Amino acid sequence: MSLDLKLDKSGDAVTVVVTGDIDMSSSPKMRDALAPLFQNNNKLIVVDLSGVSYIDSSGIATLVEGLQWSHNSKHKFRLAALTPGVKDVFEIARLLTVFEVFDTKEQALAE
Amino acid sequence: MSQPIKLSIPSDPKYLGLIRKVLQELLDKHDVPDDTAHRLILCVDEACANVIKHSYEGPCDEPIEATFTIEGDDFKVQIRDYGKQCKIDQIKPRDLDDIKPGGLGTHFMNEIMDDVSYCTNRAKGTLLTMVKKLKTELTSAQGKDKE
Repeated sequence: MSLDLKLDKSGDAVTVVVTGDIDMSSSPKMRDALAPLFQNNNKLIVVDLSGVSYIDSSGIATLVEGLQWSHNSKHKFRLAALTPGVKDVFEIARLLTVFEVFDTKEQALAE
Repeated sequence: MSQPIKLSIPSDPKYLGLIRKVLQELLDKHDVPDDTAHRLILCVDEACANVIKHSYEGPCDEPIEATFTIEGDDFKVQIRDYGKQCKIDQIKPRDLDDIKPGGLGTHFMNEIMDDVSYCTNRAKGTLLTMVKKLKTELTSAQGKDKE
């Protein structure tokens, strides 16, 4: 399944809605979409993963990069709506507590 | 299933989705639970990605051969490549407390599979063999349900 990324801007926040599989083939596309967001005035960046049923280590690596960019740029970086398969991969990587993870995109934008 | 299922893909990341789909179909036919299947697919995907990155280092037209066998409770996958041989003593998962991008593929394989072994006793390339006892996984999942 190819990867589709949509940006939804609302005030100081931007949501990246990701749909498809994130693997070695598609993770560079997600990286290209995320990187510029840390160089503008967005205060909050939310990655909505509700449409992602598969993520591999390259996808996780891209999100860890995003986390590092957020620390360097003072942007807030949050993940929302992890599907069971994606959540399991985060758990095996012991990264679930490293990120700010929310059940829904709305919660990630509100808190 | 005594007859193994064999699949050869080019060393191009765009074919990783194909190998995942084939394996998903195979595991579905053997009624492997979704969460277990997802983990096994992750391991095979990571193994093939490692071949693309570390064995072939760029060319997208080299062969990656996957052989899947399900016999009794054992799921076995062998991944054969003909690229640069891996240095077995240097393959190790990274420290998970060191949060940084990359290096998780080997951790996933070691964490999920019961046995992971590399054989470089051949003229070219590496044969990776990974084994998982499916019944153990089933029993474990059922035990969790009872808790």
